[in-house]
Amino acid sequence: MAASYAWFLVLGSVFLVNLMKTLLPSISSFFSRLVQKDAEQESEMRSEVQEMKKEQLSISMMDEFARYARLERKINKMTDKLKTHVKSRTAGQAKMKWVVNIVFYILQAALMVSLIWKYYADPVTVVPSKWIAPVERLVAFPTGVAGGVGITCWLVVCNKVVSLGLHAVS
Amino acid sequence: MEPGEASEAEAAGSVSAAQRRAEIRRRKLLMNSEDRMNRITGFTKIEPEIKAAALRRPTEPRFHLDLDRTEPWSSSSSSPRPSPFLSEASGLVSRSRGATPERRGSPVPDSEPLGGSLEDDIGGIRPKPRGERVSDDPSGSPRRGLQKYLSRFDDAMKLRGQMANEKPDQDGGSEPEEFDPFIIFRLTGSILLAVFVRVFVCTFLSIFAPFLTLELAYMGLSKYFPKVDKKPQTTVLTAALLLSGIPAEVINRSMDTYRRMGDVFADLCAYFFTFILSHEILLFIGSETP
Repeated sequence: MAASYAWFLVLGSVFLVNLMKTLLPSISSFFSRLVQKDAEQESEMRSEVQEMKKEQLSISMMDEFARYARLERKINKMTDKLKTHVKSRTAGQAKMKWVVNIVFYILQAALMVSLIWKYYADPVTVVPSKWIAPVERLVAFPTGVAGGVGITCWLVVCNKVVSLGLHAVS
Repeated sequence: MEPGEASEAEAAGSVSAAQRRAEIRRRKLLMNSEDRMNRITGFTKIEPEIKAAALRRPTEPRFHLDLDRTEPWSSSSSSPRPSPFLSEASGLVSRSRGATPERRGSPVPDSEPLGGSLEDDIGGIRPKPRGERVSDDPSGSPRRGLQKYLSRFDDAMKLRGQMANEKPDQDGGSEPEEFDPFIIFRLTGSILLAVFVRVFVCTFLSIFAPFLTLELAYMGLSKYFPKVDKKPQTTVLTAALLLSGIPAEVINRSMDTYRRMGDVFADLCAYFFTFILSHEILLFIGSETP
C-alpha cells in the first residue's frame, strides 16, 4: 500500500525546494554575471573617470581654465556613459532575477503537482488509526486509508519543519 | 480763464493724479509685502489658493493634515494654513503651531517624500473637499465623517511613510523574524514529547492528547519568559485594513492572535513530524534487527 520510503522522498523534495529558494538570489546573480560580459568595460570606465578626476585636481582652474574645462567635459561625458551602462546592467540583473524566480516557481509547482499525483491514492506512511484519532480522516486525506498519512498533510508538515530548520540555520 | 491759470490747474491735477497713483502703488506694495515674505519662505502654494478660495467660498472650512495636532478635530477647523507672517491670522496660527514650511511636502515628519506622488496626494487632499459640502447644519455629521476620513487618510500616510522607511531594511520580501527563546523552548519541548510519546505513550491513547496538554502548559509558562518586543510589521494588508476603518487596536490584537496560532501550528508540525520520523526509524531498526 504505502511505498516504504515515500515519506522520505517527499521530505527530500521539500528540503531541496526550500534550499533552492534560499539560494535564489545567489543563483540569479551568478547567471547575471554569466550573461553580462562587459563588466570589465565598466571597471575600466570607472578607473578612467577616477584618473581624470585626479588629473583635474592637479590643474589650477585659474591658470589653465581651458584644459580644466576640457577635462571637466570629458569627465561628465564619461560619467554619463557610465551611468547609462550601470542602468542597463541593473535592468539586466533585475530581468534575470525575475526569470530565475519564474522558472523556479514553475519547477516547484510541477514537482508538487507530480508528488500529489503520484501519492494521491497511497499514503506516504501508515500508523495505527487510533494513534491519530480523532483527526485520522483529515490526516489521511485524500487517500481515505485508515491510519494513513496523506500526501497533503505530509507536504504541509514537511514544508513547515524544513522552513523552520533552514531559518534557524541561516 | 487765463492760460497761466489753466496750466496751473492742469499741473495741479496731474500732480494729484500722480499722487493718487503713488498712493495706490504704495498701498499695493504694503499689501504685497506679506505675500513676498511668504513666497520667500515657501508659502507660495497656499496663499493664492487660500485667497482665491476665500473669495469664492468664504464659509467652507479648510482642512489641513497636521500630524502634530494633539487636539481632536473640531467643527471650527475652518483655518487655512497660515504663514508665520500673517499677523491677522493669529487665531488661525494656533491651529498649526507645530507646522513648519519643511513639513508641507511630507506627511510624516521623519520620512522623505516619495517622489512627487506623495506631494500630489497631499495636494489632492489638502484643498477643499469638493464633494463634501459643509452646511450650516448644527449636527455636523458630514463634517464628522469628513474628519474621520481625513484622520484615516492621515494614518494611511503615516503608514506609508513607515513602510517606505522599512523597505530598505527588508531584503527580497522575506520576513527576518528572529527566534525568541520561548519559541525555541516550545519547539524543543514538542520534539522531545513526540519521541517520548512514540516510545511510551502512543499505544495507550491518541498522540494529540499529550500535545494539547503541552500547549496548555506553554500558555501558562509564557509569562515566565522574557517578552521579545516584536516590531509591528506594516504591510499592505495592515494599511488596507486601517483604511477600511478597522481600528488599529483590533488589527494589533488580531495579528497577535494569528501569531499565537502560527506558533501552535509550528509546534504541531514539529511534533507530528518528529513522531512520524521516530516511528519510521523504530520500524527500520526493528526490521534490521533479526
